[in-house]
Amino acid sequence: MKISKLLVLALTVIFMISCDSNEGTEIDVPSSYEFTRNGETTVSFTGQTTRIQMATELVGAITDFDNSTEELLLQMYRNQDANGGDVDPYSSADLNAATKNVKSKVAASTDYFSSNTTISAEIKDQFETWLINQVQDVYPNENTAAAQGKPGQIADGSSTRYVNGKGFEYNQLVAKSLIGSLMADQILNNYLSVSVLDAGTNREDNTSTTLAEDSNYTNMEHKWDEAYGYLYGNADDLANPLPTVGDADRFLNNYLGSVEEDEDFSGISQETFDAFKLGRAAIVAGEYDVRDEQAQIIRENLSTVIAVRAVYYLQSGKNALDQSTPDYGAAFHDLSEAYGFIFSLQFTRVPNSGSPYLTKTDVDGFLSQLEDGNGLWDVTPETLDNITNDIAAQFDFTIEEAAN
Amino acid sequence: MKRIALILLTALVISGCTENGPSGPNVDDFDREAILNNWADNIIIPSFSNLAESSSTLQTDAEFFVENPTPQTLQELRNSWKTTYLEFQKVSMFQIGKAMEVRYRDNMNIYPTDTTEIKENVQTGDYNLTLPSLNNSQGFPALDFLLNGLGDNDTEILTYYTTNTNADGYRAYLTDLTSRIDSLTNEVLADWTSGYRDEFVSNSGNGANSSLDMMVNDYIFYYEKHLRAGKIGIPAGVFSGSTLKGHVEAYYSDPFSKELFITALNATQDFFNGKHFDSSDSGESLHSYLNYLKTMREGMDLTVAINNQFNAARDEAEVLDASLARQVESDNSKMLATYDKLQINVVYLKVDMLQALNINVDYTDADGD
Repeated sequence: MKISKLLVLALTVIFMISCDSNEGTEIDVPSSYEFTRNGETTVSFTGQTTRIQMATELVGAITDFDNSTEELLLQMYRNQDANGGDVDPYSSADLNAATKNVKSKVAASTDYFSSNTTISAEIKDQFETWLINQVQDVYPNENTAAAQGKPGQIADGSSTRYVNGKGFEYNQLVAKSLIGSLMADQILNNYLSVSVLDAGTNREDNTSTTLAEDSNYTNMEHKWDEAYGYLYGNADDLANPLPTVGDADRFLNNYLGSVEEDEDFSGISQETFDAFKLGRAAIVAGEYDVRDEQAQIIRENLSTVIAVRAVYYLQSGKNALDQSTPDYGAAFHDLSEAYGFIFSLQFTRVPNSGSPYLTKTDVDGFLSQLEDGNGLWDVTPETLDNITNDIAAQFDFTIEEAAN
Repeated sequence: MKRIALILLTALVISGCTENGPSGPNVDDFDREAILNNWADNIIIPSFSNLAESSSTLQTDAEFFVENPTPQTLQELRNSWKTTYLEFQKVSMFQIGKAMEVRYRDNMNIYPTDTTEIKENVQTGDYNLTLPSLNNSQGFPALDFLLNGLGDNDTEILTYYTTNTNADGYRAYLTDLTSRIDSLTNEVLADWTSGYRDEFVSNSGNGANSSLDMMVNDYIFYYEKHLRAGKIGIPAGVFSGSTLKGHVEAYYSDPFSKELFITALNATQDFFNGKHFDSSDSGESLHSYLNYLKTMREGMDLTVAINNQFNAARDEAEVLDASLARQVESDNSKMLATYDKLQINVVYLKVDMLQALNINVDYTDADGD
């Protein structure tokens, strides 16, 4: 009985989908992410590329014990000094010349944070606390062995990891938390949002092809491209980023690539790219419903990437701990990554809703379970399983699919 | 509509049944404890005992050398380094129990060694060899550099232990390294002989935490990462695209890398066959277990296929230069041919054998970040 109902439902859905494409004007979808007007490109997302590169340098500098200081790390995060003055903290001259910065775009989406500035500031400052703690607590202990309550180094296979007194690696916390708070938040809750795409006179301007000042694009086109840029902005071939998905950066692109490699999720990369492409083409054609449908696909897929990696690292961390000789080093590394992906879950977006898959309250609850007491030194496999279950329950994948 | 659902269900049920056909002998009917016994008493403990004797001689010779640094004592020390390094190849795969806890292999044999860090350590005299970040500046590869790589010839090398402004530092560092090799080896051996042996043998069930599952995983991990990749694949550029001759084992020594590889290859094959240490006898093993289960691969006994493949890899390696670094430079295709032969056995061991023994792989490729 139940099955026949499902079948009806499935058929109805298929019917509805097939009806969809028969209406409206034709949308001209290019094979790559290339859009032009009067022979010139209309695509621009240099600011996103810049921020990905700034974040990359920042994350690398966190474990550069010989050269980094608290001041330098904070400057790399803010791209200004404590008095707001211009600074040149990066190794790349282009980045030093840029006026963009990472910090101002952390937890800064219109949908989630425009009227939630207290939380926004709290999250922005969280990163500074991690950077400061790294220099104050971990740096002095570079050459001591880590132990409960004692920062220092610990072996993970043939790698050496540097952890705080609770076993967390600050570089992993920063890197993996930026995936949600910078990349996902800007894409899912800002640039793909109706509130941003249709802000002001954007929709009329786009329909009438009124271009933004001194530009070859409409504001709406540009907003969509900026979303694209946070995912693909550091790819070798910016218009054809699919073949190198996973290699463009160590942030969201990297983990979209990882999830794509898991055969339970293969196709997610193509589907995401296609949605970006179709959505952009729909803007050119003035097909705003199609545009918004693509935004929902991207929201679901990129949210899923974050959740899959959270589950993956929770489970591999659990397996490293749950053996007769626990492999603390391997577990701490996995669970530090898990921490960042869990942190990132609060920036996910359930399609056709205004909410994340897991709220900030949920996330803070999970994180405090990891940090409790001696932190990762005494977290139990049961706790890790419970968090895993709570996360997976909000998504359409099983723990097995994500963990393998 | 209901009928379609019924047909679908029936099809599902039917396809679900086909997996459960009658099968051969049950994996649980074999006496796994007999394998563990043979491994512990006839292979693992004798191999570590033998290594401990060598490492003790190495330590004595190093102490003698630093007191009397001459061309002759240098040569003697090199010889005992070689003997000990070869004996180490026979235990490197046993990263279980205490060896796992102290990360024995990582302390003994990470190469290429970090020569800058070694010199820094000697310079400052301020180093803690128990730190993971110093794993790559100790063990056999660091000794290789200290005994063979400091200068172009023996006279030049000897100056580091005689007239060099840091001669005291070099002498101390050398004996600190040999002493650590000796003490870690004895620590692992003592654990086997004072209780762990019984624990290991009696943990004869199945499941992820049983001795057999853990040892087999350690064995295959070693075969895949350290024998196949470390000794052959990485220098041959299989993973990097271009060759890396500086990544061969014992890079600074007179040609020695091939002998280390062959010794390790033989040890992994002997372990598979349950062959006793330094003897032609053999006992219960993965080989006898698989034969009991009558495991076949493409019409051939899996055990025959695996042994054929070990032999094929050794045959392929016969033609390699005694120095794998030279081989990489002169004709890397022969290195790649050896690698290919080794790779085939990864599949036989990791897929066919594990499936037959109902053992899950407990490690994954690290994602590199």
